[in-house]
Amino acid sequence: MKVVRVAVVVAILGLVVTLALAFRRDPHDIRTGTIGKPAPAFTLERLDGSGKVALADLSGKVVVVNFFASWCLPCTQENPALVRVYERYRASDVVMLGVNYQESRDNGLAYVQRMGMGWTTVADDDGRVALSYGVFGPPETFFIGPDGVIAGRHIGPIDEATLVNAIETLRARAVR
Amino acid sequence: MNGRLVIAIALLALAAALVFAARPHEVTADERIDQITTELRCPVCQGLSVKDSTSETARQMRELVAQRVREGRSNTEIEAEFRAAYGDWILLSPPVASWSGLVWLVPVVALAAGLVLVTGRLRRTETPKPDEPSSTQVAALRERVAREEAAEG
Amino acid sequence: MSAGDLGAAALRAALFLSLWGTGASIYAAWRRDARALASARIAAAVGFGLVVIAALSMMFALATHDFSILYVAENNARETPTFYSIISLWAALEGSILLWTAILAGATAFIAFRGTGAIPRLATTALAVMFAMLTFFLLLITTPAADPFARLALAPDNGNGPNALLQNHPLMALHPPLLYLGYVLTSVPFAYAIASLILGEGGDRWLVATRRFALISWALLGVGIVAGAWWSYAVLGWGGYWAWDPVENAAIMPWLTSTAYLHSVMVEEKRSLLRTWNLALVVATFALTILGTFLTRSGVVNSVHSFSLSAIGPLLLGYLVAILVLSVGLLLWRSARLRDAGPIGAPLSREAIFLFQNVLFMAATLTVLLGTLYPLVAEAISGAQLSIGGPYFDRVEIPLALALLFLMGVGPQLPWHGASRATLERQFTAPIVAAAAGAFAALLTGTTALAAVLTYALGAFVIATVVQEFARGIRARRALHGEDTFAAFSNLLRRSGRRYGGYVVHVGIVLVALAVATSQARTVDAEQTLAPGETLVVAGYTVRLDAIRPVSEPQRDSIVADLTITGNGASENLRPALVQYPNSAAAIGSPGIGAGLRDDLYTILAAYDQRTFSWATIRMRVIPGVSWLWVGGAVVGIGALIAALPAPRRRAVRMPVAEVAVSAK
Repeated sequence: MKVVRVAVVVAILGLVVTLALAFRRDPHDIRTGTIGKPAPAFTLERLDGSGKVALADLSGKVVVVNFFASWCLPCTQENPALVRVYERYRASDVVMLGVNYQESRDNGLAYVQRMGMGWTTVADDDGRVALSYGVFGPPETFFIGPDGVIAGRHIGPIDEATLVNAIETLRARAVR
Repeated sequence: MNGRLVIAIALLALAAALVFAARPHEVTADERIDQITTELRCPVCQGLSVKDSTSETARQMRELVAQRVREGRSNTEIEAEFRAAYGDWILLSPPVASWSGLVWLVPVVALAAGLVLVTGRLRRTETPKPDEPSSTQVAALRERVAREEAAEG
Repeated sequence: MSAGDLGAAALRAALFLSLWGTGASIYAAWRRDARALASARIAAAVGFGLVVIAALSMMFALATHDFSILYVAENNARETPTFYSIISLWAALEGSILLWTAILAGATAFIAFRGTGAIPRLATTALAVMFAMLTFFLLLITTPAADPFARLALAPDNGNGPNALLQNHPLMALHPPLLYLGYVLTSVPFAYAIASLILGEGGDRWLVATRRFALISWALLGVGIVAGAWWSYAVLGWGGYWAWDPVENAAIMPWLTSTAYLHSVMVEEKRSLLRTWNLALVVATFALTILGTFLTRSGVVNSVHSFSLSAIGPLLLGYLVAILVLSVGLLLWRSARLRDAGPIGAPLSREAIFLFQNVLFMAATLTVLLGTLYPLVAEAISGAQLSIGGPYFDRVEIPLALALLFLMGVGPQLPWHGASRATLERQFTAPIVAAAAGAFAALLTGTTALAAVLTYALGAFVIATVVQEFARGIRARRALHGEDTFAAFSNLLRRSGRRYGGYVVHVGIVLVALAVATSQARTVDAEQTLAPGETLVVAGYTVRLDAIRPVSEPQRDSIVADLTITGNGASENLRPALVQYPNSAAAIGSPGIGAGLRDDLYTILAAYDQRTFSWATIRMRVIPGVSWLWVGGAVVGIGALIAALPAPRRRAVRMPVAEVAVSAK
């Protein structure tokens, strides 16, 4: 019976400690499995129909992949930051790529034109590319280094500081 | 004797029915898709499986699973593809061959521990003293009393 | 004075009375002081009245859209229909705790008057425990932690409105109150158990005092859970009734331990054994209800119910810890006195079956508990994120449930102390034949999954044993009292309500098990994009999309798909919809359900052409047998009612002994 008593006390202690520890985590923070792995390759058609874009063609450059959709409210919120960062790095070897997610090309194109998105935008018609990257929902931004590895990702609307920070870190790595 | 025969036949019939139900059968492609999508978690829902969810993401995942099944991939390979992108979180039950696979042991251990405790408290068969009724006789007498008690309410 | 002011003042006054009541009842128990008890009683009654006034004030504020109160601004809008305004009392955290407190205050008042008789110390000490718990909850709702009457400096023009899911279906009026009644009433046996431990009473008096409360709280909890399953089915719109969501798990755990308790307590009543175990079960049941509230409200798990994080988490955790420390401490301290005298019984006796049943229930509870908490532990320790969901729980719990079904048939047939070979043969021949018949019935209806066939077999087994028991009882009554069959039957229910009501409950459980087995084994799905006029065929049913049209109401906009379903003798018009509430980011699906005793036709509008309504993606699910889940739940409730009702007074008419001996042969 001594064993039973000790077991009960230990079990209850364990339960309480578990629940207390649980406060540390945010149930809305889900992490992906793709960080640190080579970015899944893809070839997607441009939204304006003017040809295809292959990720392989961009190797050696810092690539910022942003998943967006016109039905996604936070996407409109983050757009100004994206525009500013695009302008800043336009002449450099940083490539910004927008991937239109879960909607028709017409809707996507209209959104791109309305929001003044000057960078390359492509359509992920069957959602396969998003699935291979582990996308939960737009807006999501992935940072791919010159070595083709996913260095980081951001779920939700992104701000200018985070974008610049991530880009500069990757560029510094490339120089070395 | 008659009663025991009836019981034996009934048990055999029951066993036959169960064996028939458990027989291995050819799993169709649709069944495989159902099996896999039941185990995958919809990334944009509250704990729903990809099979049950009506979201667009789940629909796209179902199509991807269907294509991979057509291509002849195994269940493990298909699940591995999603695990590579989303992490183990995308599986609704932890893979047995991992640390989290320990949860599969919980019910087994709990049952075993409980049974050990309980059988320790049960009496072994006893030898009745000569001038006392045996436990069987006592039991039969108690049953009769209980029946009569029950009838009186 | 506005409703908000009245409510807030009432709660503060109730808090004061509750503190007074705690002190007065402690003193009354300690010094056996009748006047202190009288003042505690008054405090309980008036306190209850005040909390009810506070709840009614909140309902009034919601119905009149008083947006100066924060809770109303967050959970109500001018367009919200009055019915949903009123039941928004339990739409969110603060109001839910207010409801909980009201029920707890009611239970306290009940104990104060009905339970305390001529100051038995046990009941008065239990009253003190109730007051202490009531004080905690009143503290929660009179402090910023969860104050429902917190004010807004500037009242907005219009409020947020209740969460979309909570104003879509009238079941919202039933599920939370039933569940809360079940939860809160578990505190009564708990209070008595603590009192019994504090006073060191080795007797079983507290069992008798709380027997009915335990049964009633069990029944309400069970019915509340079934209501929740119905809500999940009819409102959440994914086509199922149980998803092993953390909050569903939180509700079923205390129900499992409570069921175990209802049975093992019979062993204590009959043979004065298992005292420590029963006390532990009562404590576990109550602690699990607090754990359940904690999991639902603290935001530590992501679930259907967790809409917002709140500061109440640490407070509830602290309360849970305090309860566990107190209870376990008392149990360990007193356990020497409560030890059982000897072995419990023979392996083939009713006591042993109840023990095995308890082991199964505890294994089931432990599995649900660890499965729900494991992701938290894993992430806290290693940062790894993993899911434990439906497939795990199904695989683990179904074998346990089947084993329990089996014991449910065996237990009532075995006598106390042990059974002879002859008994076993006589009792189980017919049920085993029934089991074989049940298995074949399953195969004949096309239900060929192994678990389902087993369920049918075991279900038939249990039903056969119940029928046997009733037949035996009726036969005995006819012989002893000369009653006709019908009178004998109704007298069995009235006079031996605990036993025969219990059998009715078992029948209800079998219906639930059969419903679950059938629906899990034979549900068929199909999804297709249709234009108006096109059809989709599933399991012999033809679904025709007639139209897709928008519908506008003051509080919401919907897109409705008109469907006509024919085939297999059915003819239904169903209207699945996608409903958009202004305060919600996404539209929520509202299923169109055609319920039937054989099949339920479950239709979902998954997607539609947003510009010209020229197509709609319709999912049709044919779910056999699910209606029997609700029927089974109702039967369980009826059985519990039969068991809980007091028997009519016994008339002292007895037949002479000689005649009894003759007729019993």
